Amino acid sequence: MLFDGTLPDVQLNHAQRELTVKIVYYGPGLSGKTTNLQMIHQRTQPDVRGRLLTVETHDDRTLFFDLLPVFFSTAAGFKVKVKLFTVPGQVIHNATRRIVLQGADAVAFIADSRRSASAENNSYWKNLNENMRENGLDPAQVPIVIQFNKRDLPDTRSDAEIEEARKKGKEPVVGAIAIRGIGVLETLFAVLQSAFRSLDARAGLTKNIQLTEKEFLTQVFQNIDTSGTELERLFPPRVKPL
Amino acid sequence: MRQGESVLQRRISLGELLDGESFTDVVKGFVELYKVGIKVFDDKGAKLADIKVGNGDFCGYVFSFPEGRRRCTATVSRVKDGPLGLSHGARLPVIDSDDQARAKGMVTVPCFTGLRYILLPILWEGDTLGRVVFGPFQPEDLKDFPPPSLKEISEGFDTANATRFVEKVRRAPETTIARVLLHFARLMQTMIFAGQKMFLTTQLHIEATLEQNRDLEERNKKLEEMNQKLKDLDRLKSAFLATVSHELRTPLTSIIGYSEMLAEGLAGPLNGEQVDYVRTIMDKGETLLKLISSILDISQIEAGKVRLSFEPMDPFELVNSSVSSLKPQAQKKGVTLETKLPPRPFQSTGDRDRLRQVVTNLLTNAVKFTPKGGTVRVLLSELTHQPDLNTQGFRVIVEDSGVGIPADQFDKIFQSFYQVDSSSTREYGGAGIGLAIVKSFVEGHGGVVRVASEVGRGSRFTLILPALPSTQAQVNITPPVTAIQAPADDRF
Repeated sequence: MLFDGTLPDVQLNHAQRELTVKIVYYGPGLSGKTTNLQMIHQRTQPDVRGRLLTVETHDDRTLFFDLLPVFFSTAAGFKVKVKLFTVPGQVIHNATRRIVLQGADAVAFIADSRRSASAENNSYWKNLNENMRENGLDPAQVPIVIQFNKRDLPDTRSDAEIEEARKKGKEPVVGAIAIRGIGVLETLFAVLQSAFRSLDARAGLTKNIQLTEKEFLTQVFQNIDTSGTELERLFPPRVKPL
Repeated sequence: MRQGESVLQRRISLGELLDGESFTDVVKGFVELYKVGIKVFDDKGAKLADIKVGNGDFCGYVFSFPEGRRRCTATVSRVKDGPLGLSHGARLPVIDSDDQARAKGMVTVPCFTGLRYILLPILWEGDTLGRVVFGPFQPEDLKDFPPPSLKEISEGFDTANATRFVEKVRRAPETTIARVLLHFARLMQTMIFAGQKMFLTTQLHIEATLEQNRDLEERNKKLEEMNQKLKDLDRLKSAFLATVSHELRTPLTSIIGYSEMLAEGLAGPLNGEQVDYVRTIMDKGETLLKLISSILDISQIEAGKVRLSFEPMDPFELVNSSVSSLKPQAQKKGVTLETKLPPRPFQSTGDRDRLRQVVTNLLTNAVKFTPKGGTVRVLLSELTHQPDLNTQGFRVIVEDSGVGIPADQFDKIFQSFYQVDSSSTREYGGAGIGLAIVKSFVEGHGGVVRVASEVGRGSRFTLILPALPSTQAQVNITPPVTAIQAPADDRF
């Protein structure tokens, strides 16, 4: 939520005992943002998530945005809603991208790992930074996690090149093949962890609503089928996949 | 600039999610099918639908007694605004075991008349957006009608009448009603989902359009400001150039003029050394004058102010006049100037003065960079088909046996103010704009310039010019580009 001239406020409603965490999946068109959300949707227990909402434009049927809500109640009785959004990748929808980005608590930047996509990645990275600035979001307070998607395609960057890219900034970097579910939950974990830490620093979640990072992440991931991912040991899946 | 808060940032009410008219139609259809009334309220108690069936006469009759009215109002307020939990007279519904999982939050509220209501919270993404009130219905397990709680409302209560009215109210087992309500709940979920999609699409469309508009307005404003700034700058630059040209040229002309008079002895005889000195002053004055003219030329080109004027011209004359203007310089330096012309003269079209300047510039460079004893050759081709231009045309080749140009510099030498050797201790003078002018003028004719060179052996510049330049070309006279690369701040 934004107020003029002030720092972005945390969407923490004490009266309704409710915390909303907004995560935005950003990146060039066709980099796999929607695929990430679809995979998360597939693996999440239906009783803690809403439907995956895909909003399209009236005229040309191009994507406006996707929205996947995940919700739970904390041990202290606070209601927590995690809203996962994607932005439209098409260049012309910059206005929509900016609107969707409003009030984001963390951003997952989905990049196409192919070397040929570097220019596009860079241009959307710049676009993200511009739109964050326009929205009054301080990059120092709104963490970004980078996912290098499509690691299975020819022309993909090598591990060494990704390592190189990681060193260029401070953002956590996750490799992924979203279409096969690889790296999707790891990215979600990284972005939620970053979001929590930043929110905790700004709004003192641990102190004010007795919500620890551990509880926050456990509440989300205990309801997600983590089998076959790096998170399996941290959050053993409660229900085995079919 | 900040835009208003997006609809994505706030909680959306049930009323916004449901399309009012079609929702009422669906509820109506449902009520007609199952013969049980439905009321839908949002979480603030606002009524979104209220379709009654069958209970009108009965409830009206009960309502006609003051105590009936009081109890009725209490019941209605209980189902409408009371808690959705198991308090204030509510209890868990009687329900089939396989429906239990889905019946979360469902409660039964008995009416003092023996009829019953079932309430169901409308859950959406973890929020309670409102409630559905289903009923009243006549439970099948209701055996003794009227119950004492109804009979006692008045001494005038007529059981026969009431029984006749209550028969019109749907009678069914509570499990059946609960199942029907679950069915309705599922329908509501679908309608909310569709409604949410529609609502968000519409709202986002409006927001995006407004945002885009705001964006464009802002950009327009910036462009206007920038345009104004550029216009001011352009005016400043023109004024500056005019002044500089005038202020520099006027005294320079005097310097050259007076030197000339001195050299010619108009102010009395000079000895040999004095004449030499004065001629040096004259020469350097001429060089400076040419340089000022070139700088003016390039600024005119950059300002897009140069218009080539095409007219019939003689390429022989072009080459000969350029060569003869360079002859004194070549002679002085001890460089041989050779000219090779084709056997037959021919006519062409072009801007005579500009082309002469092109050839002269090339010759000046050739002589400048060729050491004593070297040769500068000018060749003019016949008029033939030029594959590079895909039209009739001719070539002018200027060759020298000078210092040469490294191959990696071929592109750069055509940029303004570029010198292969840009050190302060360089051997050859010049501002580095001669070739930039050459390229702009030749391209203005629709021609091309080629360069070939070997360091230490010499250079060859080839001008390929069309016999008839298209008028299109002269409009597109492009300023020489000084390549500026933005600093790399790429993340990927």
